[in-house]
Amino acid sequence: MSNTFDAISMLSAVAVLTGLGLGFGALLGVVSERFKREDNPLVEQIDALLPQTQCGQCGYPGCRPYAEAINQGDALNKCPPGGESTIHALADLLGREPEPLDGEAQSVAKVAFIREEECIGCTKCIQACPVDAIIGAAKLMHTVIEDECTGCDLCLDPCPVDCIDMLPRTAPLTQWQPVTAHSSNMIASDRQPAPGVS
Amino acid sequence: MSNAFDFPGGIHPPERKQRSNQAALINAPLPGRVTLPLQQHSGQPATPCVAPGDTVKVGSVIAKREGMISSNLHASISGTVSEINATQIIIDSDGQDEWLRLPSLDWQRVEPNALLERLNESGIVGLGGAGFPTHIKARVVEQHDIHTLLINAAECEPYITADDITLRHYANDVLEGAQISAKLCGAQHIVIGIEDNKPEAIEALRQAIQNSHPITVELKVISTRYPSGGEHQLIKKLLDLTVPSGGLPADVGVLCHNPGTLLAILHAVRDGQPLVSRVVTLTGEAISQPGNRWVRLGTSVKALLEQAGLNQPMLNQVIQGGPMMGAPLLTLDTPVTKLTNCLIAATIVELPPAPEESPCIRCGECESVCPVSLLPQQLHWYARANDDAKMAHYHLFDCIECGACSYVCPSHIPLVDDYREAKSRIRLQRIETVKAEHAKHRFEFRQARLAREEAEKQARKEARKSQQRQTPTSAAASSEKVDLRGLRIAHAAAKASVKKAEKTLARVAQEDPKQPLDDLEMQLATAQENLRATEVQLTQAREQQPSKESP
Repeated sequence: MSNTFDAISMLSAVAVLTGLGLGFGALLGVVSERFKREDNPLVEQIDALLPQTQCGQCGYPGCRPYAEAINQGDALNKCPPGGESTIHALADLLGREPEPLDGEAQSVAKVAFIREEECIGCTKCIQACPVDAIIGAAKLMHTVIEDECTGCDLCLDPCPVDCIDMLPRTAPLTQWQPVTAHSSNMIASDRQPAPGVS
Repeated sequence: MSNAFDFPGGIHPPERKQRSNQAALINAPLPGRVTLPLQQHSGQPATPCVAPGDTVKVGSVIAKREGMISSNLHASISGTVSEINATQIIIDSDGQDEWLRLPSLDWQRVEPNALLERLNESGIVGLGGAGFPTHIKARVVEQHDIHTLLINAAECEPYITADDITLRHYANDVLEGAQISAKLCGAQHIVIGIEDNKPEAIEALRQAIQNSHPITVELKVISTRYPSGGEHQLIKKLLDLTVPSGGLPADVGVLCHNPGTLLAILHAVRDGQPLVSRVVTLTGEAISQPGNRWVRLGTSVKALLEQAGLNQPMLNQVIQGGPMMGAPLLTLDTPVTKLTNCLIAATIVELPPAPEESPCIRCGECESVCPVSLLPQQLHWYARANDDAKMAHYHLFDCIECGACSYVCPSHIPLVDDYREAKSRIRLQRIETVKAEHAKHRFEFRQARLAREEAEKQARKEARKSQQRQTPTSAAASSEKVDLRGLRIAHAAAKASVKKAEKTLARVAQEDPKQPLDDLEMQLATAQENLRATEVQLTQAREQQPSKESP
């Protein structure tokens, strides 16, 4: 009597657990199909950290392809416009070790400038610009929309007459950053008395 | 009425107001030359509308407002414009002091819009320190219901007595300015908050309140404690309302004005006189005739202090603003602007340089005096470590930069300097992020456009091909069949993303019609380009589909 009862209770436990397993498995399967996401959220996050210069210095055609490559395991240090801060932000996000930048960091923000009297109107730079920041038409002068230019350098190479310069970007006064040097945190007894102050 | 409510923290620095509040308010001598910076207010700088050599009168508009938040600028002396450069306009006086006034308005009769337009024309900005254009502030009613107009006469910073003296001399006029402002914002109450260290001003206000109409004015005297003049602190203390983190007083139905601003409003409306002069406190041990002066904007600080008896050898530094929140001037060759409320010519004994900073000992003094209940020492660590996420978490942007923490710090750490630096760095980063986002959308739009052009080209090519030979090969057709399903999915996805972009655009546009929608419009355009590309591909594939089945 007790043996049959044990067998029944054991079987019922197995049946319940199997049923639960199948039920939840089916639910998860339905949900994963029903709420499927085309884009990879991690790629979106990586893309948000990149500077969106679209310069291609990483070897990929734009920031988003590089973000996808990083997600596939490519190195973090291929973005010169982003510099060290971008590498550290990416390393933080992905839990990887930051590596030193591959290439030269850009010291100041640049903007392309077309020397207009030399421009022959070949439209090659317009085709090269990744963000449509150059306006002009065939055989007519071209010019750069300063606010839209990301300073990616991609228009320099195609120009047959070398009439494009990269100039430092002017920042408005409201974006001025104070230059402050913090004194190092010395221990008070190590300090030399400041001249003129008793 | 006693005040049961209070804000946390606060300090009691030496007041030193005696030095400047004894003398009567006088006019400073007319300057021979004024230098008027184009940006004397928050927002966009004004654009010059005169040329060098033009003759101007006092009150002629010399620079017009530019963009949404900006303010007009007027000549403060009559004479000739001698120089205009990227940041300022210089006028040489002809000594005549001829005025150009606008017609007087009867504020009780005219439409609110006419009053707003007058404030706009007259270049009135908040004279308390931030310089926010008053006509924009008055339009806050479009989004918020304002029940109380608060006159902020606390003037809690040491040394400064400009509001005190203004109220002693012009209490009636200030209250009339308050009535105008209350009419504009629809407030039903007017409350004046004033610290108890200004007995003469309080007495003058008591007299003036009797005949102020139509709205009765309530005078609330509060005990002296720095920084009770902070907007949020005063609102908490007088009305027991807490302005939310990152919010404005308007979020709790209050509008704050400085007495000087209200006086300027009355002058603009009643006398048609634009903002060309203001009351400036001249004080400090290094001048022999301290006191308050009516100063024309653009007057050189050096000339002004010399007229007040500047003792050059004793002078250590000149501070613009108060000793707590003001900034030392690097050069005296700088003009008085709409925001200069006080000039302190200090000797080295009076305001000695801060001793060199020592390491933080975590004593917690800064926390107990912070009027916003922040954790200044935590912010200090994170600011030095450039940890922006943590600083945002500890509400760095709620810091009002009052300097109470730096004042009590036993290690003499310039805490507020750290916070200011961190704030400006984070602001810059935000601008960069917005720019990057914008560039990304433009890039995506370009990619979508190129894809659409490529698809259309392909379609034309296929059409030509199929005209030339009527039957495509069966191998090509079978691959088309596989593509058709993928194309249908892509087409549906593109359609959905267009709808989503349209919805987002409509929602955002409805929520806040004023904010720029360029980026959202571009996202919509990108989605439409994608849709068109898939449509072209799909129709092309469909055309080939029956041609496969027919033979």
